[in-house]
Amino acid sequence: MAVLRLAGRRGTSLPGLIASRVSPELLFRLLDQLEQCVVVTGTNGKTTTSALLYSMLEDDRRPWLTNRGGANLLQGLLAALLPHVDRYGRLRVRRAVLEVDEATLPLMTAHYHPTLIVVTNVVRDQLDRYGEVDGALEMLRSGLLYPGTTLLANADDPLAASLGRERELTYYYGMEECPMDEEPRNEVRDGAFCLLCGQELRYERYIYGQLGYYSCDRGHFDRPEPHFGGRTDGVSAVTVRERGANERGEEFPVQAGVLGLYNDYNVLAAAAAARLLGRSPRQIQEGAKHYEAPLGRMQMFPGSPERILALIKNPTGANSVLRALEADERDKAVCFAINDADADGRDVSWLWDIDLEWFVSAALCQHYICAGTRALDMAVRLAYAGVDRGRIRIAAELSDLVSMTAELDVPVYVLSTYTALHPLGEHLRSDGPGLGRRIRT
Amino acid sequence: MTEGTTAERTVTLAHLFPELLNLYADQGNVAVLRRRAQARGWTLRAVPVKLGSPMDFASADMVLLGGGSDREQQIVGRELAAYREDFAAAIEAGLPVLAVCGGYQLLGRYYELQSGERVAGLGLLDVATKADKGRLIGNIAIEWTSGEGAPDVRTIVGFENHAGRTYHDYAPLGRVLKGHGNNGRDHQEGLQYKGVVGTYIHGPLLPKNPHLADHLLARALAFKGCREPLCALDDALEWSAHHAVLEMLGVKS
Ligand SMILES: [Zn+2]
Repeated sequence: MAVLRLAGRRGTSLPGLIASRVSPELLFRLLDQLEQCVVVTGTNGKTTTSALLYSMLEDDRRPWLTNRGGANLLQGLLAALLPHVDRYGRLRVRRAVLEVDEATLPLMTAHYHPTLIVVTNVVRDQLDRYGEVDGALEMLRSGLLYPGTTLLANADDPLAASLGRERELTYYYGMEECPMDEEPRNEVRDGAFCLLCGQELRYERYIYGQLGYYSCDRGHFDRPEPHFGGRTDGVSAVTVRERGANERGEEFPVQAGVLGLYNDYNVLAAAAAARLLGRSPRQIQEGAKHYEAPLGRMQMFPGSPERILALIKNPTGANSVLRALEADERDKAVCFAINDADADGRDVSWLWDIDLEWFVSAALCQHYICAGTRALDMAVRLAYAGVDRGRIRIAAELSDLVSMTAELDVPVYVLSTYTALHPLGEHLRSDGPGLGRRIRT
Repeated sequence: MTEGTTAERTVTLAHLFPELLNLYADQGNVAVLRRRAQARGWTLRAVPVKLGSPMDFASADMVLLGGGSDREQQIVGRELAAYREDFAAAIEAGLPVLAVCGGYQLLGRYYELQSGERVAGLGLLDVATKADKGRLIGNIAIEWTSGEGAPDVRTIVGFENHAGRTYHDYAPLGRVLKGHGNNGRDHQEGLQYKGVVGTYIHGPLLPKNPHLADHLLARALAFKGCREPLCALDDALEWSAHHAVLEMLGVKS
């Protein structure tokens, strides 16, 4: 059957799309066969968190499946399940970690109730996709109505945490110790308002974006005490402290080869979810060691120079990536590949919500290159952020990013929107060591 | 420079409710005005006016009103009603106001939801907005119908995203070349009245439209009583970005 043969292909929703045309009920028939199903949703960190969780859960005796590659709409979920269906239409693997788009969650939960839903955060995303943050929150809320599903939410994000208000079977994770700014940065904080009275929330600590220790002055709402607390210095492992039945709780470090505070949150979320699913700290530690970054999630392309590819798709995510770059004290080159296709968000206003002024003044970076259909918008953005116009170069094609950075002797960070990610991954791979430099004509 | 001259060379921008009305990166407009003022030896003092804090129109040389979500605009609409008299007087006196998207709608009398319910605006201008099915979304280019000091480049480019259809009898900001504009029907975009510029165009508005940025800046300086001409800047990058949008839309510049 052509559908099943196609289904093994990486990072595409196409086979799922074909199958969902064949039978719209097929997805739910398959989902119903799952014994355990964890859904990871939220605006940022879905792909990394579900990849981390998958590596913590998967073992030979109890196999799990996942939609690795970020195909997180209904047809993408189907594409992830299909390769595991036997000829009688039964799933051979009965446990799944599924990354699910916020808008897709209610469509899924209308017919199927997962075991556990993890909500990473709810922040401003591409505006012309879902309208507003309020809308995304509403979709998540309606996706969580089934009372038998366990919710694991980020306590430090007021919007994600608000989903657990007066809800049973809710657990929280949050940072207890991490690097923090003395002064709040100039970041967009959509969620920094009490949802009940509209009052700006008071922050005792700012972590990043709208994340922090917050409370409403009128007493409506404050940061819930996390069941899984994280400690990190931003460089080494994340220590997870679990507030268990016994008062002392349990502590264990998780080392997962990721970069940046926002990824420490992903590690904490994955470890907390794995604990709720009954994995031991030791199994979690082992699994985290084998984690490999999915495409474009701070993915390293070794070589000379070394290049690191990171997806950016909204201001909070981009700020988080830039924070991780600031922590790299070496001189560096930063490339921005900005497209404006539907999947990227056609409106590029969000580039002006990125706190580039801070990065430009705080980080050591001599080279800026802009590419993509909106390269010039990005170049103007950099100029107004204070980058010397003479230091900003434009790459006419995405492939030129590789050749333009080939002679640099500093690490190259490539920050890319969604549709530029796959082509950039291909260009960077073909330029990698052992494969020889691409021949340029 | 003496202290006196430093104070004189400060232009004050009141940025209304930036914590709520920031849906389309309006801080980008502030960044552009700040840099362009700085390049002419002026200091732009952007004063964020937060919800609930007093607003002194007398000390402002210019006002920026951005766009927010429906919920946020309703909060702001209620709050601003208290300032209505002062704001109206300042507009009549020629205070430059840049109102983008939701901010543009807020200047008017009401926003009529599809249910027929009317959310009151500030009523500063005789402008009405009605919600309709389908948002008007996409890249847009207009021909600026500038009365005074018509610049060489007459096009304004950016992005629009609004469900509201706006109607008024004032001069528009320009004629739609590609895109939807005020209501998707009469080929008009935005509004110009005295010092007020209302528009649906963001992206943000000013970075790719340096001529409009300078027009607003000159207005603010004039309102302050200073009529010095603004020297030209190196805007090669800005114009490349501007023309790239025109090209993408198939509009001849
Ligand atoms: Zn409250």
